Amino acid sequence: MTEHSSAPAPAVEQKAPPRPHRPVVAYPGFDVMAQQDHWDPATRELIRRRVHDVPPIRFFTPAEIRTLTAVVDRVLPQDDRPLEQRIPIAPWIDHRCNERIIEGWRLEDLPPDEEAWRLGLQGIDESAHHLFGRAFVALTEDEQDAVLRAVSEGSPPGPTWRRLPARRFWIYIALRQITSIYYAHPTAWNEIGFGGPAYPRGYFALNHGNPEPWEAREERLDETPH
Amino acid sequence: MRLRINLSPDWVLDTEMREYPTAMPVDFCIVGTGAGGAVLAQRLARYGFSVVCLEAGTWMDSEDDMVSDESGARPLYWNDLRITGGGEPLLLGANNSGKTVGGGTVHYAAFCPRLHPSDFRVRTLDGVADDWPIQYEDLEPYYEQMEREYPVAGPALFPWGKPHSYPFAPLQSGTAGHVLIRGCLELGIPVVPGGPIAITSGTFGKRPHCIFRGFCLQGCKVGSKHSTLVSHIPDAIEHGVEVRAGCMACEIPIDRDGRVTGVRYYRTLDDGRYQEEMQRARFVVVAGYAIETPRLLLNSRSARFPNGLANSNGLVGKRLMAQAGQVVWGRFDRMIRQYKAPPACAETEEFYETDPRNDFVRGYSIQTVSPLPIAMAHLITEESPRFGWELRHLMEEYNHYAAIGVLGELLPDERNYVGLADERDQYGIPVAYVHFNLFENDRRLIRAAVQKAREILEAAGARETHYVDRYAHLVGTCRMGDDPQTSVVDQHCRSWEVPNLFICDGSVMVTQGSANPALTISAIAARTADFIREASLRHEL
Repeated sequence: MTEHSSAPAPAVEQKAPPRPHRPVVAYPGFDVMAQQDHWDPATRELIRRRVHDVPPIRFFTPAEIRTLTAVVDRVLPQDDRPLEQRIPIAPWIDHRCNERIIEGWRLEDLPPDEEAWRLGLQGIDESAHHLFGRAFVALTEDEQDAVLRAVSEGSPPGPTWRRLPARRFWIYIALRQITSIYYAHPTAWNEIGFGGPAYPRGYFALNHGNPEPWEAREERLDETPH
Repeated sequence: MRLRINLSPDWVLDTEMREYPTAMPVDFCIVGTGAGGAVLAQRLARYGFSVVCLEAGTWMDSEDDMVSDESGARPLYWNDLRITGGGEPLLLGANNSGKTVGGGTVHYAAFCPRLHPSDFRVRTLDGVADDWPIQYEDLEPYYEQMEREYPVAGPALFPWGKPHSYPFAPLQSGTAGHVLIRGCLELGIPVVPGGPIAITSGTFGKRPHCIFRGFCLQGCKVGSKHSTLVSHIPDAIEHGVEVRAGCMACEIPIDRDGRVTGVRYYRTLDDGRYQEEMQRARFVVVAGYAIETPRLLLNSRSARFPNGLANSNGLVGKRLMAQAGQVVWGRFDRMIRQYKAPPACAETEEFYETDPRNDFVRGYSIQTVSPLPIAMAHLITEESPRFGWELRHLMEEYNHYAAIGVLGELLPDERNYVGLADERDQYGIPVAYVHFNLFENDRRLIRAAVQKAREILEAAGARETHYVDRYAHLVGTCRMGDDPQTSVVDQHCRSWEVPNLFICDGSVMVTQGSANPALTISAIAARTADFIREASLRHEL
């Protein structure tokens, strides 16, 4: 490529150093649940139930739940946490499907959520067989990621995807619900430094992104510029 | 019946609410208690009419039912099924309508700008859409009333549209608001901090001032943010209105003369079952917003109106409008913590009007958005369907993001509409099908608006910017006009075809400019109430 070339210059690929499989930001000592005495009773009870009353599996079959759990583990991996500290996600998706909980809309080319999940899990397994010859749960993490990337790009292999638009399922059902559950959990709030419930106390430190006295300051754990 | 509802920490609506028998006609049966229905009910009651409001949702007690939590706010939203499609399917639910006493105002951000004078004359000025049958001056006195009754905080001199002042001082902004202000000032763009926002910057009656908790879209437990639940409904009840909650309207029957006789609805009983009832009324007002209003009319079929009530010209449900609500966010080296302070913080209307230098007509506003974590995660995954540690790392930066939003005028088009789908909801009523597309002027406007928002964030120091398509504020499906052939209601929101039927919500808007619609809807309702009183006094109703 010379400077006289009229062809557009290829984007210079800036190879960022690989990000580690652990957080690169931390709010040391921040535990949003330690603030619960400052919350109103309705909110406190709601969050308490969310943390402690994880619903049993009622909707999916054992095979489906294994696939769903494997998918969820790749969407929001929690391999940096001991098992007992991980945010439960699959049980809440099962609960939504079982109770037919929806958000007030359905895209015209998608079936009802619970049907879309069943088809989606079936499609993910089919794509796993097409691409790697094994069930999704039997793949390596890299292989699982390759399957999910194919789904997110919209044209994964397998006959089920002819009945379910893959990209729309992935964005508007799978990613939307998984992130809704994860970022509703106090463990995720600690991770991202979100102050959480704030009534009746309110927030006082409104300027310069300052923390409240009871919030923590951010610490960067990696060397990469943010 | 005895009501005992907390509206704020220091205010219990503890009163006897009048109840009307269903078989005796009341003067007005109003469907919906949002920005339109509640204001109309309150005024009609003060003018001496008997009024029953049917509300599909329930009472939300600010202490017991509202929470400081993003996903816990679900009960405020319209979660019943709707099918959404077209080239740009609108995401409904939380984003666009409420199902509770107070309607969508209970969870709106409370940005409350007025329309500009030019909005009422876009056909004359720009050769697009249609002129309204009324002018800015017709609504101006009602804007002033609503800004005192909501009330609205904002600058002493608001420079855009017809310049005017606000009765309450600007609200304090958080750091995310400062980002928009700083970016605009760096570029020499006029910007107003702290308004126009319907959040009290001082104590107002029994409503304390804002505590900057940031959960405006989840229902204000403080009672500081406006909703009709705290602004007009208590006064309506004091003046004899019955708000019948948990009652989902399903049909408006007519008699042999083609006049409506009341509203059929399903009342939710204590054991969860639905009971069909009918409230008889001399006049019916539909105020269910731009999806439920046309849905109710389309579901009210008769030999006289085989295509739905008041729909002989086929325009009920047509010309659905949304506003371009593209969310644009930047990542900053410095801390933002955008969850603090109300998401509605600051705005500029500098690009609101048609500018001949643009390749499109009409314009846009830019406002603060400041999503909480779940909403932020949705933006990030919709921009690009990322997952894995990449997604976790992006969300770790939550406190470094500031998100602002375009609020752009999209033009009405008959190819955007609300119809009926094959499916039925839990009551057995056919659900709405919502069809939405963008057209050329819309696309050009959005391109320019997103670019401007990016420039503002970059000028404020953003290291990188991103955006996602969003659409908000649904209006226009039962438009008002001067001609019965090309509109559904007249300038007083009265059906051309059914003399004792009114429609009084965002459905009647002809265009929607780049202003959030609540204040305009309430102003139209207050004007309609005055028309009804005057016509009634002249025995012309």
